[in-house]
Amino acid sequence: MSEKKYKIQNFEPITADKLLERVKELKADGYRFVQLCGITKKDHYQLLYAFDLDHVMLLLRMDIQPDQEVESITGDYWPAFIYENEVHDLFGIKFLHNALDYGGNFFTTSEPTPWAIK
Amino acid sequence: MSKRTIIPFGPQHPVLPEPVHLDLVIEDEKVVEAIPSIGFIHRGLEKLVEKKEYTEMVYVIERICGICSFGHGWGCVSAIEGAMDIEVPARADYLRTIWHELSRVHSHLLWLGLLADGFGFESLFNHTWRVREAVLDIFEETTGGRVIFSVCKVGGVRKDIDNATLKGISEKLDEIRKETAELTDVFIEDTSVKNRLCGVGYLSKEDATDLCTVGPMARASGIVQDIRLTGNGVYDDLGFEPCIETAGDCWARCKVRIDEIYASIDLIQRAIEKIPDSEIAVPVKGNFHGEFALRMEQPRGEAFYYAKGFDEPTKYMERMRVRTPTNMNIPAMVKTLQGCDLADVPMNILTIDPCISCTER
Amino acid sequence: MSVFKIGKVVMGSLFKKPATLMYPVVPREWQERTRGHIDINEPDCILCGMCMRKCPTNAITVDRDAHTWVIQRMKCIQCGCCTDNCPKKCLTMAQTYTAPSVTKVIDTFEIPQKEKAAGGGAADGKLQNNQDECIYCGICAKNCPQEAIEVNRDEKSWKLDEDKCVKCGLCTEKCPKKCLEIK
Repeated sequence: MSEKKYKIQNFEPITADKLLERVKELKADGYRFVQLCGITKKDHYQLLYAFDLDHVMLLLRMDIQPDQEVESITGDYWPAFIYENEVHDLFGIKFLHNALDYGGNFFTTSEPTPWAIK
Repeated sequence: MSKRTIIPFGPQHPVLPEPVHLDLVIEDEKVVEAIPSIGFIHRGLEKLVEKKEYTEMVYVIERICGICSFGHGWGCVSAIEGAMDIEVPARADYLRTIWHELSRVHSHLLWLGLLADGFGFESLFNHTWRVREAVLDIFEETTGGRVIFSVCKVGGVRKDIDNATLKGISEKLDEIRKETAELTDVFIEDTSVKNRLCGVGYLSKEDATDLCTVGPMARASGIVQDIRLTGNGVYDDLGFEPCIETAGDCWARCKVRIDEIYASIDLIQRAIEKIPDSEIAVPVKGNFHGEFALRMEQPRGEAFYYAKGFDEPTKYMERMRVRTPTNMNIPAMVKTLQGCDLADVPMNILTIDPCISCTER
Repeated sequence: MSVFKIGKVVMGSLFKKPATLMYPVVPREWQERTRGHIDINEPDCILCGMCMRKCPTNAITVDRDAHTWVIQRMKCIQCGCCTDNCPKKCLTMAQTYTAPSVTKVIDTFEIPQKEKAAGGGAADGKLQNNQDECIYCGICAKNCPQEAIEVNRDEKSWKLDEDKCVKCGLCTEKCPKKCLEIK
């Protein structure tokens, strides 16, 4: 019996300048956007984009510096606006050209950017 | 051009006790645009992994949602087991599948009740919940909790169901199927229900693909997408097939969920016939290490879990990410709201089966 | 046209027993597995603090100096994590729910002090390691709820912090060489 699909882990490192290009490719290949989340590392952040094609996931891992601005992928995948606003509100990472920017008012938090590197 | 008005919808609204706020831009009786805002109750549960050991975190993650709590617990332990390379005993996998499918039956019955309540059919609402109560009783008997089960643990399950009780559950499910059939007839055939649901909130297959919808919402628009096909649990052994509709309107979404109730009951009964005798848990030792991303099919659709350990293994996780299905369906909801009648707004919102509290974790 | 499809169900329910319970006139029947609230058998408790550390909601406080075991009922989520981890199994899950209240209920239990030198119970000994047989595997240190044991493989040393040790006996159970003893 072949390996079960859910056990396949495709992690692919990517840099910020190649992101949009790769996302456009994925969109053309028919990938579905699954999610985007931020991870706080010791001195930088990591963004994890997940895509799905025929029930197999592909994850793009991107390291970014605290003051780095990231291009929004909402041009290709509009539903990503939820995650980009979420990451912006919790981690303080700025996204450029977000199709639906809430300007930091997406989540109500008692302190701004609670999950940012202190 | 007629005058535009903005009607605020929520966060407190009779149709759904969920804190979602929508600004509905209205032109006459038509909704032109809807702008969603969530984030009223962000709890920061994901951040708790830094303070809770990975074995305890399961109980926290379970409490993200009261309706699909078992699925969240399972997703969380599956991610941990995947990262640490733990093989779960076969009986535990079967028990998890049985509990998960029972949750789906209870969740869909709850949703059908809420839908009936949403379009003002109160007696249908009450009867649906009466049937659902029987499922909750099964939960209390087997797990000790009516909505939050706390039976999943890393390495297996905490409680066994003996074979005699499983037989009893199978018989009870026959009864539930019979009672559900009387009610779903009303949903499928009654004219007043059809008037409220047919043709409302149409979402084409192309739009559904574009907006990355998940779960029953996607399946009602004809997309074959069900994470149960990916092999987690024992669905492969049970001959699982997803329920698909092509109409793409509110009625189709209702129909998909009704079909899923019966499909789930069949799956449970097949699982009860096939369940092997074995251990129910393997001991788990040591620190958390590795990383794993996986998805689970919750009653509301696909949920995403990601567990990551520190480079130096400790008892704590570096990141536990949970993305719930409603997150993915909000864009589609906004889309279906555009151009609908003001009176149909509750139906459009309800048929994505929103669980805003899950969305914010 | 199918109008009033619900009629059959509604009419049928007229002649059936009510689906609901006449609560509180008819008391609720608890299932054997119902997770209601946490109970403690005070004499067995050794105040090791394992429950306090494992509790996902920090509902339990164990005070070794004051000899108390305190639970905040409204914080407890009945997950059963403490009953699983209790080395002495003195915590149990009782079936009845805690009563509703307008204040945050805090229950304090006095733990009786263990009498010393009363016939050689586990509580009055001292943890001893037979260092001739010890292989310095460190399993005792990993399982110690109090982190009272320190093992260094390279230096072949085994140290016990006697103030921290609660003599729960977890290390003696887990020791692969059975070289640990409480006496």
